[in-house]
Amino acid sequence: MNKKHPNRSLLLFCAPALLVYFVFKLYPAISGFFYALTDWNGITKTYKFVGVSNFREILDDSYFWGSMRFTLKYVLAIVVVSNVVALILAVAIESRPKGKGFFRTVFYMPNMISMVIGGYMWMFIFTKVLYYMADNWNLKFLDKSWIGDPKYSFLAIIIVAAWGAVGYLMIIYMAALQGVPTELKSAASLDGANAWQIFWKVTFPLIGHAVTICIFWALNSGFQVFDVIYALTGGGPGRATQSAAINIYEEAFKGNIRYGYATAKSTVLFFIVLMVTMLQLRLTKRREAEL
Amino acid sequence: MKRKNMMVNIFVYLFLIIGAMYTLFPLLMALMNSFKTNGQLLTNVISLPDRIHFENYIRTFEKMKYLRSLGNTVLLASVSVSLMILFSALAGWKLSRTKTRLSKIIFSLFVFSMLIPFSSIMIPLYKVTLTLHLKNSLLGLSLVYAGLGVSMAIFLYHGFVKGIPMELEEAAGIDGSSSIQTFFYVIMPLLKPITTTICITNVLWVWNDFLLPLIVLSSNKKYTLLLSTNTLFGQYSSDWTAILSALILAAIPVIGFYALFQKQILKGIADGAVKG
Repeated sequence: MNKKHPNRSLLLFCAPALLVYFVFKLYPAISGFFYALTDWNGITKTYKFVGVSNFREILDDSYFWGSMRFTLKYVLAIVVVSNVVALILAVAIESRPKGKGFFRTVFYMPNMISMVIGGYMWMFIFTKVLYYMADNWNLKFLDKSWIGDPKYSFLAIIIVAAWGAVGYLMIIYMAALQGVPTELKSAASLDGANAWQIFWKVTFPLIGHAVTICIFWALNSGFQVFDVIYALTGGGPGRATQSAAINIYEEAFKGNIRYGYATAKSTVLFFIVLMVTMLQLRLTKRREAEL
Repeated sequence: MKRKNMMVNIFVYLFLIIGAMYTLFPLLMALMNSFKTNGQLLTNVISLPDRIHFENYIRTFEKMKYLRSLGNTVLLASVSVSLMILFSALAGWKLSRTKTRLSKIIFSLFVFSMLIPFSSIMIPLYKVTLTLHLKNSLLGLSLVYAGLGVSMAIFLYHGFVKGIPMELEEAAGIDGSSSIQTFFYVIMPLLKPITTTICITNVLWVWNDFLLPLIVLSSNKKYTLLLSTNTLFGQYSSDWTAILSALILAAIPVIGFYALFQKQILKGIADGAVKG
């Protein structure tokens, strides 16, 4: 052990990690702030410093704010839907004497598959199977333009995204539920509390940590949603289901290739995500109970 | 009371079974219809195939260059995750054992960056891969994944090392083992449980990641399974039997992986999330 120069050997051991981390994460993050102030277009080698004009342009960019609004709507829906369903499933499975392993395996399965693959499979359901059911089984409410009509395509996106997210959150909730001591629950039951009261007064506060993690995860991945929308609607019809990540991707890699402007957009997205997740961690951390 | 319990039980199981059917529905529909001819699929999507038509699979296997795409994906995932594990175990162990201010600074630097969303660095990162001539290179892309993944892995190793007593490595040091030897022969074996967790979560991440390869890999010779499937989806816009067989082919490796390592995967997911 290098007792005399602890920092020297520390740097030596951290060097490979620091190198890749600087080059592929920190440098892009920092240089992003710089590119956001330029008119760099990715083709010409030179670019001009244009100050905050990109940000000024963003203020009037109705497509970008449209995609931000859609992203917020999506985040809200997916955080609520996936967490509620995952928690219900976790409680239902954990409280059963048999079949735990089976149901856990099945509900987690969609998480193994990329949302691009899952999204295309659901595309088949929405464009072929549901029509068939509507026509032949007389289920008229299924006869909707699930992908083509923005009213229903939002719903379709949430259905698929929740299908892909619920299993992951459920596993985290199940692990947390297993950590709640049974003595506490039986004590509350002896005191005359019913199952509903036991859950909200005893169990739920004790799995607060898992709630924080799950909401944090859903928020964070929700703000960056790309795959599922790319596969299902591609952001369409028009730009009706375009998320912020899709909007930035198209600005940079499709059509006009305005890297500088697209980076400015992603900077805005970064600060919005940072604010929201900080706020969430503050709010939910305060509610966690310790054993 | 007993009767009521039984009713509740039946109700909950019914609910879970319906949920399970719903979860498997898209997978089963894709599987079933991938064995039909297009004509059969158009007349009835719900029925079982009259006989197993493997033609779709033969067609798409060729068309999406299945073996090549699979090989690319395996190479990408294994190199990325090996680098990630080696780099972050080295750093995480030393960071946890060194109690200097520099150590704290480096550690917080790694932790802080976990909050940076990928979509906000994607364009400058693309530029970096252009400058370093890593664009369209699977090994280059592996380095990028290592760079993006080390912070989380270091965080996990750092926490895990705290729970390992110092005596073992001190004894090794007294016996004349160098830091590097101690790391490989004493520390790495002790880190095995958390290494498994990190390995599983990151293999799944790299395997299923779509946006980064979409940006970085431009030649279809380098395409991963997901990119090949995506291209095929664009080419066969309404030939559903071809598309569905491609989707099944793309899903088979991960489902097989899941069948083999289910216990470790589910445990790894829970551990990774709770400690992170």
